[in-house]
Amino acid sequence: MKTRISTIVTILILFFAGSSLLAQKFEQPVLISSAGQSADVKLVKMLAQRQDLNATTVLMAKSEDLTGFKTLVIVPGFSSKGLGAAGISQQDELERVRSLINAANDLKIPIVLMHIGGNARRQGQSDSFNQLVADNSKFMLVVKQGDEDGFFSSIARAKNIPLTLVEKIAESAEPLGNLFK
Amino acid sequence: MIRNHLSTIIITIITATLGVIAAISFGKMHHPEELFPGDGLTGKVMLSDYFEGIKGTNGDTEVYLFDSGVEGGTALVCGGAHPNEAASFLSTVVILENLSVTCGRVFIIPRLNNSAFTCSDPMEGFPASYEIPTKSGTRRFRLGSRVTNPLDQWPDPLVFSQYPSNQQLSGFETRNINRSYPGRPNGNLTERIAYAIVQLIDKEKVNIAFDIHESSPEVPIVNVIVYHEKYEEVAMGAILGLEMAGLQFSPETSPKNFHGLSHREWGDYTNAIPFLMETSNPSMGRLRGRTDVDLVLRGYCDNYKKAKETGALRIAYREETGEPIAHRVGRHIAGVVELINSYNLYYPDNQIVIENLPDYEMIMEKGVGEFLNN
Repeated sequence: MKTRISTIVTILILFFAGSSLLAQKFEQPVLISSAGQSADVKLVKMLAQRQDLNATTVLMAKSEDLTGFKTLVIVPGFSSKGLGAAGISQQDELERVRSLINAANDLKIPIVLMHIGGNARRQGQSDSFNQLVADNSKFMLVVKQGDEDGFFSSIARAKNIPLTLVEKIAESAEPLGNLFK
Repeated sequence: MIRNHLSTIIITIITATLGVIAAISFGKMHHPEELFPGDGLTGKVMLSDYFEGIKGTNGDTEVYLFDSGVEGGTALVCGGAHPNEAASFLSTVVILENLSVTCGRVFIIPRLNNSAFTCSDPMEGFPASYEIPTKSGTRRFRLGSRVTNPLDQWPDPLVFSQYPSNQQLSGFETRNINRSYPGRPNGNLTERIAYAIVQLIDKEKVNIAFDIHESSPEVPIVNVIVYHEKYEEVAMGAILGLEMAGLQFSPETSPKNFHGLSHREWGDYTNAIPFLMETSNPSMGRLRGRTDVDLVLRGYCDNYKKAKETGALRIAYREETGEPIAHRVGRHIAGVVELINSYNLYYPDNQIVIENLPDYEMIMEKGVGEFLNN
């Protein structure tokens, strides 16, 4: 009997904790930035515009750029062309992202991860960015192809981070908008 | 003594015979494959009509025009910048042989670097040609080189100083047309071809221009649309449209500091909106096994399957199906169509309406040969 009661209580606790996370809302204005300088961030900018979000995109945002923003959306994914265009190394970019995340955490600005590049932005040089952002996020919105090996799902489970998986990039617009409604 | 002479004569005859066989085979690279444009063709000129400096050289090439007669925008579709990239040339040929235009104009250059079709890359073991079965017979296509034939431009400098940026590149790249834009009228042959193309874009007031390519599966720039930063919205609209059709393309911005490439210099030096697309071609990769026609066309390679399974690198390779030519050509044609659709949304006063091109599913189902004339 005692075991049954404790099981029910545990389930209830998990249910309410889960519900509160699922119902988590984020506030505007939103700063959108890249981690790895892939052009996926430009697609997220377009999706945010279509959802009428009060969002500003700064590809190489630094801690000082966080002033006035209430949510930070980071789009991880490595691009050699993007890093080349920015004139920085992968290590420079990792340092920038790390300090941006630290500053956001200090300022209590929640981080939303949006991974929309599928397997083109997985493994290899992309995963160091994916891991760093996922570990520090409060919500993850991921196009399914990028999670075929359960990379994001396992981080979400281990860290109790709500995760929404969508089939296509275009389908991520609505869940993105809903985070702020 | 007689024995010595006899062996010398025999060796000389064998060497001469092998030389003649090789010369005949090599000579075939100079015979362009016949193309059969569709009914919508309204004109054909030579690239040298835009810049005389390449007239009479192997750099001169055909420019095909499809003019609807209805006022609108102008597109330019280029294949064969690197003739070792089979799907680049073939995609352009399929467009050439099927296209009809109902608004605006479309220029097509299937053999952008014509000189590079006349040789293959040394030490790579590439087949010199491949054949595609069609409705009414088999057609042979050359598999050329990444760069201008050294017989047309030689020697390479130790270091190539790109004009006008002065960017330093490997000497070999001096014969790479996609490092030579915007070109110059008094430069080497590759720079003069590049200059002629930029003249065409200017004189014909091209609005949107495509440079079709292929790449090794292990290179990060595969299955991408590379766009100039001025025209980001057209690229993003097309990528979303392609994704809805089940085709994933990654967007890549053209680096401002990497010079000589079409997606950078066409955007900087002309009013055209440039796009470069890449598909994954295992026959071009460093990890490939036997390099034969089967690998070029079927695109299946166990080495890439194993490499992908290690997870050490991002490999753009489909383990089950490989990267067959129909898939690569289908992607390119879908990319051209969707980018033009997206362009039309953003530039409604200067529309280009194209029809009659096979979609990705049709090409996958029926094969490329079904859409080649004879």
